[in-house]
Amino acid sequence: MFEWMVWTVPTALVFAGLALLLVAMAVWARLSPPVARRGFLRIETDRGDRLYIGLISAAVVLAGWIAVTDLSMWLALGCALLVVVVIGIWG
Amino acid sequence: MTEVGEEPRADLKRRNNRAWWLVLPVVVSVAFTAVIPLMTVVNFSVQDVFTPSDRIFVGLEWFRSITRDPEVRSAFVRTLLFSAQVLLLEIPLGVALAVCMPRRGVWVSVALVLVALPLLIPWNVVGTIWQIFARGDIGLGGWAVNHVPGVDFNYTLDSTDAWITVLVMDVWHWTPLVALLAYAGLRSIPEPYFQAAQIDAASAWATFRHIQLPRLRGVLTIAILLRFMDSFMIYTEPFVVTGGGPGNATSFLSILLSKIAVGQFDLGPAGAFSLLYFLFVQILCYVFFTVLTRSGR
Repeated sequence: MFEWMVWTVPTALVFAGLALLLVAMAVWARLSPPVARRGFLRIETDRGDRLYIGLISAAVVLAGWIAVTDLSMWLALGCALLVVVVIGIWG
Repeated sequence: MTEVGEEPRADLKRRNNRAWWLVLPVVVSVAFTAVIPLMTVVNFSVQDVFTPSDRIFVGLEWFRSITRDPEVRSAFVRTLLFSAQVLLLEIPLGVALAVCMPRRGVWVSVALVLVALPLLIPWNVVGTIWQIFARGDIGLGGWAVNHVPGVDFNYTLDSTDAWITVLVMDVWHWTPLVALLAYAGLRSIPEPYFQAAQIDAASAWATFRHIQLPRLRGVLTIAILLRFMDSFMIYTEPFVVTGGGPGNATSFLSILLSKIAVGQFDLGPAGAFSLLYFLFVQILCYVFFTVLTRSGR
């Protein structure tokens, strides 16, 4: 049935991770409702906004990395996760 | 970090949230029309697919080759340049047109219909119109440029001419949208503002600069957003008029992408290309959306 979608294990893991992240955020919002505030991004964001901005920034880091350097992508992934965490906490 | 205080959503828990189920049809339709196809694109972008059962996992190789491809890089710069020129021409022209349009009387409807006319024409027809119009031998516009000022104009051979043709075509097609948005914005300014300006003996320019322009801020943000996104993703019109040529002169990102995906059937690189294109458009959308919705706070 999903043969045409040509799934691979890595992409399936990525999407499962994203789905889990969304569910986790929904549960977290249920337990303690998000509060909007201002951080170094200078705009009012709640934690969902910061997660979105963080993930998009992580994608930019990965794309920029692969465009300019041949260094390991694992290093890039580390930087990208760092960006997500930094924006999530102080953004 | 400063706390901005209690947000309305803080009392999400105490409300009855069953109305959220009404969103379900949208979620289902978006899943089938956007999310599932996008997941498939992601899957294609990390593999070399010959048939669904005969495929090789290549990791991020397509992303590496696409981001380093000089043709893709130059198409990216070209598309950005085109969008910038479109905005620089269409926004001032549209505002000027809106200011010149009559504010009341029978001519309002006439002006609105005339201005809106280009918007009603299907995109590929716009392309066909301009393909003929700009031709030096049988096209009115092309013939006039060749014979009246005596400039040698041929959009099928000269890359500057091709660029100008596509740009003028876009201005002709889409300035009306900016004009209509700006006109709606101008019409919403209460009359007393103009009366006050008149009492102060303000010049037409001062009235425009200090009353009309500040009040157009909202609609112009929308106009810039719409025109940027549309021109950045332009495909049909240049495809019909120039086909991306001569050479690569008018091959914008979408034209190059469809050449890779449909022409060469390289679905892996095309998938990687699409995702990067999507990422860029997504970022711009978010920035514009943030500016649009949060600038008041």
